[in-house]
Amino acid sequence: MNAADLHEQEKRKRQEERFRNKMTKTSARYLRRMEELKGAPDSLAPFLQTLRRVYLEMENPLADQEKPIVGTYCVMAPQELIYAAGAVPVKLCSGSYTAFSIGDDIVPRDACPLVKAVAGFQDMELMPIYRDCSLMAVPITCDCKKKIVELLEKTHDVYPLQVPVSREDEDVDQYVEELYGFMDRLEELTGREITWDHLAKGMNIVGRSRYELSRFLELKKSMPYLMKGTHILAVMNAAAYLPADVWAGYMHELNEELTVKVRERQRAVSRDLPRIMVTGSPLVFPNMKIPLLIEEMGGILAADETCMGERGMSDPAVVVDKSFDGMIRALANQAVRPCSCPTFVNNKERIFRIRQMIEDYRIQGVIYHVLRGCLVYDFEYKLIEEELGRMGIPVIRLESDYNEEDVEQLRIRIEAFIELIKLKEQNNGNVQAGRNEGGM
Amino acid sequence: MSKAKKRIPAILICIGTAALVYFAGYIPFYTYQEEVLHTTQEQFFSADHLVKLLPFVIIVLLAAACILILLQIREFAAWKRKDDKRYRRLKTKPKGSKVIGQKRSVFMTVRWCCMIVFSLLVMFGGIVLGFHLAGIAFPVLACPTNLDQMVESSCYFLAHIPALFEEYSAGGIILFFVSTIGFAVLLGRVICGFLCPMGLIQDIMDKIRQKSGTEGIRMNEKRHNLLKPVKWLLVFLMLGITFAGGEFCSFCPALATSPVLAGLSVSLYLSGFMMIFVLVSSFFKRRFWCSICPMGLLIGLTHKISPFRIKKDVQSCTECGACYEACPMGVKIIYTEREKSDVTDMNCIMCGECIRKCPEDNALAMTFAGKTLFRASRKQILSGFENRKAQKGGDVQ
Ligand code: SF4
Ligand code: SF4
Ligand code: SF4
Ligand code: SF4
Ligand code: SF4
Repeated sequence: MNAADLHEQEKRKRQEERFRNKMTKTSARYLRRMEELKGAPDSLAPFLQTLRRVYLEMENPLADQEKPIVGTYCVMAPQELIYAAGAVPVKLCSGSYTAFSIGDDIVPRDACPLVKAVAGFQDMELMPIYRDCSLMAVPITCDCKKKIVELLEKTHDVYPLQVPVSREDEDVDQYVEELYGFMDRLEELTGREITWDHLAKGMNIVGRSRYELSRFLELKKSMPYLMKGTHILAVMNAAAYLPADVWAGYMHELNEELTVKVRERQRAVSRDLPRIMVTGSPLVFPNMKIPLLIEEMGGILAADETCMGERGMSDPAVVVDKSFDGMIRALANQAVRPCSCPTFVNNKERIFRIRQMIEDYRIQGVIYHVLRGCLVYDFEYKLIEEELGRMGIPVIRLESDYNEEDVEQLRIRIEAFIELIKLKEQNNGNVQAGRNEGGM
Repeated sequence: MSKAKKRIPAILICIGTAALVYFAGYIPFYTYQEEVLHTTQEQFFSADHLVKLLPFVIIVLLAAACILILLQIREFAAWKRKDDKRYRRLKTKPKGSKVIGQKRSVFMTVRWCCMIVFSLLVMFGGIVLGFHLAGIAFPVLACPTNLDQMVESSCYFLAHIPALFEEYSAGGIILFFVSTIGFAVLLGRVICGFLCPMGLIQDIMDKIRQKSGTEGIRMNEKRHNLLKPVKWLLVFLMLGITFAGGEFCSFCPALATSPVLAGLSVSLYLSGFMMIFVLVSSFFKRRFWCSICPMGLLIGLTHKISPFRIKKDVQSCTECGACYEACPMGVKIIYTEREKSDVTDMNCIMCGECIRKCPEDNALAMTFAGKTLFRASRKQILSGFENRKAQKGGDVQ
């Protein structure tokens, strides 16, 4: 080995050390802030612990499963199939600032931060959850995801899933075929043929976690201040790194605790804070600055319509026909049709979903989150803004990146937004009071 | 030009259907020298009855054979192209496990009970319980060639309009039309979803397929629309062929149900083959016959005024398409509609399947005169998981 090589190695080592340091520190900081946020139920602990294991201790919580691990980059890759093949899925979309700063030099400047973070992790090869993946499934939902395939292929087996651009009958049929292709690839990986029984078990495992989630949402609807949104995001983010049955087990505990809280009307906050909803680009740990800011500045994140949040898992796969093909159809249908992702050409259904959520969770203001470079979400802002304007719900668009340079600016805007909602409420209250007096 | 070309298959199918209906009486399936259209209680409960079931047994056996052969052919066709993913997916069948889904809903239990009870009543009720409702016509495809039916079914006289005017007095004719139209308006295609014995038979075939985990044939709205010309043609043939000297009843598959099951000696012509077709087709595609049934179409004409409605909450719907996937009649507006709250369709048989499979609270509901009978709920969709302790691991080996 010559000196230049040695030098290179040294350099790399130091870089790795720096990376590890920085990443664990940032993650620790955000985790601490999440923990310090008051009003968390006791059963939140295992979820936070999962995030700690992945980002601080740099462990792989799936390692003890002793099964091949399949990484996915979007909710449209059905987890059921992965379980059916005898593997475990992990969601790899990340919010790491440190990985982002490395990825920044690898992919084009205008690429979105999520993809930059992925590229960064890919380059460092340090994160066990990335390293241990035997296969990565990348649904092609935008240009960045398309191009990231080539990059990932350098170190991993990658399966690009062609997601249709609209949701017509033919599109669903096409996605069914796509899933059959994916199934073949999974079988190759695990060497196990997916039979009817395997698939049914896969559906049941994921189904149970969906059941627990729907119970949770039911509880949340019944009492608006039950739990803080940042904590809920921790719960939902942890699902990415846990086997569905383990997550469902934790969820079960949480639901039991919350049921008692609802019965005893124990709220996470004592005062009625402005109820805010976040919609838009995914919010992935440790990129929790927006939810944290909302709740540290005196609002409550009462609902989120983002993919690493509730939306990603809330639609159940409805099995209509109990044949093998019927189950695959159910999966394809569930992945494509109810998904309000802006990757589809016509995405009016998102507006209805947001309207319904505003009603369910009594939302008073909407924050539209755009990751810089995430064009599809940015495109839809106008539509949503118009619709919310018609409904009289204030909305702001917050663009952010995976770094902390914009935190001050975000803080100011979020604070102003919360004040705006309070003011509006007061005025409404006054008008109401005035009306009442006038009527008397 | 291309549009005209596209019509050619439809035109050919229509001509073929018309020819089949017209010449139905020349294609014997199982004939008797002497037809007996009445039975007595004694005969009904005698061993002779069992012998009379022979044509039905033959139909069932032939249908089963057809299904098995078709399944083999399908597997073989897929096997020829081994790289085709279809082959394996046709092969794999349930072996012991099940998909946890929903618990049985009250609505569906009621629906099945209604179908069974009504079918038994209409077929055998008259014989066992006596006739109290004679003269009242009920629009349903429960063949009244069985003269001992509990209530008269309208289809016979609709297929033989001249006979109606010959045989009935003015009062009888009025009663016929009033009761037929009255029931059609009052119940609409609830008759199809809840009462018709042909519907019951088809639903049973579908149940058998699903239990065996066999892949069916999915028909989306486009494919259903291909059947539209046939459907309308059959209505006109049913109402009109008698004027051209044809006999619709020789074609109608329902002839092989009620009369045969009641132990009458009825000669079956094309009807026997049609019944095999109904059984086979509904095995692969739920309620296939209902998508072309002329009686059903006529009942469906009242869908604008019938008090039974399918309602939709357009806001809570997520366009997940589960309802559309579940609908045996290929009704698409239940899934796409975003403005009207009433999504009752002419083809809707009120089976409630869409509502049962809708995962969003209240997104779909069935109402009667404004009162909700059955509504969609997330809880119901995932009810199979209730009381199952979330167990750790061990589920997939
Ligand atoms: S936002 Fe779209 S592309 Fe991203 S995870 Fe969700 S569905 Fe997939
Ligand atoms: S054969 Fe068909 S059309 Fe004729 S009376 Fe019977 S059910 Fe009605
Ligand atoms: S469509 Fe015809 S066969 Fe089907 S249930 Fe209705 S009346 Fe009976
Ligand atoms: S729309 Fe609903 S009730 Fe009507 S036929 Fe279809 S599934 Fe049945
Ligand atoms: S099943 Fe329900 S939520 Fe889904 S598309 Fe139909 S009505 Fe909408």
